[in-house]
Amino acid sequence: MASIAAPGLALSVHRSHRRLTPATATTTTAASVPSLTIKSKHPTFPSSLNPKPSSSSPRNNFDILGSKKLQNVIKTTAVIGCGLYALSNGVSNAQLSGNGGGGSSGGSGGGGGGGGGGGGRDSFWSKIFSPAAIAGEEESQEWDSHGLPANIVVQLNKLSGFKKYKVSDIMFLDRRRGSTVGTEDSFFEMVSLRPNGVYTKAQLTKELETLATSGMFEKVDLDAKTNPDGTVGVTISFLESTWQSADRFRCINVGLMPQSKPIEMDPDMTEKEKLEYYRSQEKDYRRRIERSRPCLLPPPVQREILQMLREQGAVSARLLQKIRDRVQQWYHENGYACAQVVNFGNLNTKEVVCEVVEGDITQMVVQFQDKLGNVCEGNTQYPVVRRELPRQLRQGQVFNIEAGKQALRNINSLALFSNIEVNPRPDEKNEGGIIVEIKLKELEQKSAEVSTEWSIVPGRGGRPTLASIQPGGTVSFEHRNLKGLNRSILGSVTTSNFLNPQDDLAFKLEYVHPYLDGVYNSRNRTLKASCFNSRKLSPVFTGGPGVDEVPPIWVDRAGLKANITENFTRQSKFTYGLVMEEITTRDESSHISSRGQRVLPSGGISADGPPTTLSETGIDRMAFLQANITRDNTKFINGTIVGERNVFQVDQGLGIGSKFPFFNRHQLTMTRFVQLKQVEEGVGKAPPPVLVLHGHYGGCVGDLPSYDAFTLGGPYSVRGYNMGEIGAARNILELAAELRIPVRNTHVYAFAEHGNDLGSSKDVKGNPTEVYRRMGHGSSYGVGVKLGLVRAEYAVDHNSGTGAIFFRFGERF
Amino acid sequence: MASQVIREWVGMQQFSSATELKLLELLGKTKQEVHSVSTLTVLVMGKGGVGKSSTVNSILGERAVAVSAFQSETPRPVMVSRSLAGSTFNIIDTPGLVEGGYVNDQVLDLIKRFLLNKTIDVLLYVDRLDTYRVDNLDRQIVKAITDSFGKEIWRRALVVLTHAQVSPPDGLSYDEFTSRRSEALLKIVRLGARIRKQEIKASSVPVVLVENSGRCNKNEIDEKILPNGTAWIPNLVQTMIDVVSSDSKGILVDQKLIEGPNPNNKGKVLIPFILAFQYFFVVKRIQKWIKNDIATESRPSWA
Repeated sequence: MASIAAPGLALSVHRSHRRLTPATATTTTAASVPSLTIKSKHPTFPSSLNPKPSSSSPRNNFDILGSKKLQNVIKTTAVIGCGLYALSNGVSNAQLSGNGGGGSSGGSGGGGGGGGGGGGRDSFWSKIFSPAAIAGEEESQEWDSHGLPANIVVQLNKLSGFKKYKVSDIMFLDRRRGSTVGTEDSFFEMVSLRPNGVYTKAQLTKELETLATSGMFEKVDLDAKTNPDGTVGVTISFLESTWQSADRFRCINVGLMPQSKPIEMDPDMTEKEKLEYYRSQEKDYRRRIERSRPCLLPPPVQREILQMLREQGAVSARLLQKIRDRVQQWYHENGYACAQVVNFGNLNTKEVVCEVVEGDITQMVVQFQDKLGNVCEGNTQYPVVRRELPRQLRQGQVFNIEAGKQALRNINSLALFSNIEVNPRPDEKNEGGIIVEIKLKELEQKSAEVSTEWSIVPGRGGRPTLASIQPGGTVSFEHRNLKGLNRSILGSVTTSNFLNPQDDLAFKLEYVHPYLDGVYNSRNRTLKASCFNSRKLSPVFTGGPGVDEVPPIWVDRAGLKANITENFTRQSKFTYGLVMEEITTRDESSHISSRGQRVLPSGGISADGPPTTLSETGIDRMAFLQANITRDNTKFINGTIVGERNVFQVDQGLGIGSKFPFFNRHQLTMTRFVQLKQVEEGVGKAPPPVLVLHGHYGGCVGDLPSYDAFTLGGPYSVRGYNMGEIGAARNILELAAELRIPVRNTHVYAFAEHGNDLGSSKDVKGNPTEVYRRMGHGSSYGVGVKLGLVRAEYAVDHNSGTGAIFFRFGERF
Repeated sequence: MASQVIREWVGMQQFSSATELKLLELLGKTKQEVHSVSTLTVLVMGKGGVGKSSTVNSILGERAVAVSAFQSETPRPVMVSRSLAGSTFNIIDTPGLVEGGYVNDQVLDLIKRFLLNKTIDVLLYVDRLDTYRVDNLDRQIVKAITDSFGKEIWRRALVVLTHAQVSPPDGLSYDEFTSRRSEALLKIVRLGARIRKQEIKASSVPVVLVENSGRCNKNEIDEKILPNGTAWIPNLVQTMIDVVSSDSKGILVDQKLIEGPNPNNKGKVLIPFILAFQYFFVVKRIQKWIKNDIATESRPSWA
């Protein structure tokens, strides 16, 4: 998924080649929707950021960053991208705070500089974007020998300006500790020099300037030691900056705050003027803190940092780096991919102020693209997209990559677009701001499809003949996104024989009208009207154990349906509507049959079984109201479902239709997935064991035709039995428990189930349960294993005491 | 059947005058107390091959229905009517209720339809005396009869045990054997008919022993007698009189009884209330849960 790498932000102002690696999320959705991407295209920052060295940086211990240099930075940078913005802002603040703080205390210390740096992790980028590095690589073919005696230490300014020196190795010498520092030290990241690189004197000087103005060091020197082979070893000796110890920590969001233009500091200022200057700067900074918004950093992290400060005693540059890393780590871990620590201010005042640009969204743009990627006018109305966007992506919020992903998923669920990009882009007009761009490619509005298949049925004598080759197939059409409001019409006709379509013709015509309460209304109701037919084998006319083949009854339904679905959450919804249908019951040979058949003990078939329809003619017409409320708060924990699902459904007959059917048919399903162990969530972590408890009650008061009777037995009722093998009744109760134990990537489970007709089988006209010699109640138990989509299970049917292995698709609950 | 000419009860002549008197008394009882038109209808039911038809023939004193030793000769119910002194005596012979180890619902259905609009005054539940055990099947038969005609029918029922001329197993006297066999069967009847303990006394089902065989011992006045010396036909008639003269009523078989109460009409008037209950207590409750879910949903840290 989209991950925006968060490289460390070094305190160097020069190499703020911050790059958020482009992250790509690809989600493949249902066939009709091609893959879509979330792209976070952060511009690669131009390498022209190298500010000119400040000509006069007064080397007192509290003015580390020269103001001129600072201005250079601001001038030379075209501020783009969070990273870059961080740089410029950071510099100005560093300067302010450094001077201000120092001035007021009249003592030592300056502000730490902010800025980006090519860290170890993105050394590749820093190589590319660092001019020095580029220079080094370009000229790596040839270099000049130092032409000096071996093993002497040469100061930088003594080196020749015309030679290209090959650097054999680089050493850091901490003067305070009197030792060299290892390569793992954070300071190493700040230097762009690489061993075996070739550099000119100017480049080395620049490097030194960079280090000197970074705010990290009080004093930095660069010496070259000549080697016998003509190369030089570079030793950078430094004195780390330290400030007074602090016991307070504050984190502020300085994003979108206007740049405070530093006042040019005249080197000829008198002491008094200087003091005045520092005071005013201090005041400015205080005002800045006041105006800044509170940051998102939670108190626990703040306390953690405070702890770091207390343990350390004096505030050192290294400590600041550590704090910066910790703060940025929190931001990036929580999806604030554009957040940057830009500066530490108020040093030397017992308080460390961490200035963060969090990445405030200044604008959100929805853009439609044509097939070629050109911006075009979309058919989809803007509010349709807008209502899918999380609030966190609106203007004024802090950009969060997770919100971006959410937006992507939500828009994808509209199934209107072939390509979706959610793209945070730095706001060029508003430094520190982010423009969220949503680029959408629309799907074709109209589509039609014809698929054909040939089936060869055995003809006379079992041999296929020309006439026995049946052309079958599906014709479907779809008109999506009518009026740009995601309304759609779709229709399909399927038959297994085009030459004789009346034999077996399935059709469906559906109109979907979302946003019934208006697209601006937060209430999410969808109207759906459809015209359908279906053909199913009735499980009511099924024999019990040991009963030979019961002649099957097919139930054909055709009708109209209109309902309104109100979505409360993604999973919980309330649907209510009207159904009008005609039910026809047929026997094996497609003749309308008004009564079930049964096999007599003598072997004959008698057609005086239970009535199949209410009207006892084989054809029923009825209209009823249907309501269904689903509450589903299940969620996936490491791939295993946990939570609760309750469904209540009522069919309320209106007394309209054959024999004026008036009934109330209701069912309540309660399923709980109980997590038995707390587990850590994360990719690749083991899912918890889960206990599934399930209960289903179904009942009917009033007219109950046999096709609406509740049947017991089957993979979704009581496993281990065939569909309807236990009975068909007016009121039923099913209870089930399943224990799922994760094993490797899948899980094994054990279950026990029971189904009972509550003695209501006799209340179904004709008592089909008894006629077909079924028990009316039954239990089963078994074990199984999930293999991908398939469940393989061994279930023992308690009525006959025999077990069998079943393979099923999908989930039982 | 209705067009059938009701013949004079000729077979009556075979019986002793005492028996004849009793029969007349029996018919007279129905005349006075139960019906304005004097009719007595006796229904004979039981397993196949226990001697239902033979009993019918014995009672009528003639070979009114076909009997065969080895197979069922009664494919459908047969009503034989005889008139005696202006009253009508109907006796209905039925096919055996058991076929292939199951109670044959079809036969039961057939009997019920046959009985439509008739009143059953006496039910003769026939079984053999010389089977030693009772099993679940007996109970099922009793249950099927109860389900078809209601519990009330057992107030008008007699348990008839055929093949009464039997030598009891070793170590048992004839009386002891018959009483134990009757007791076992009555227990089953009580179970199958779901007669509760309190009711046992009120609705005790009398047991009558019957021997249809031509080799049946006869007494001096040529009446068939049982091994214990009782003349069984008068005894049967007497018991029938006792049953009829008890305060219970005959069972009128009408359409409703045949089809049972229409389950589709049960509770129909309650539907509006059920619907209201469902809306206010189920739908509303679930909606509340959903609201609660939305409120307590764990939001991602950024939301």
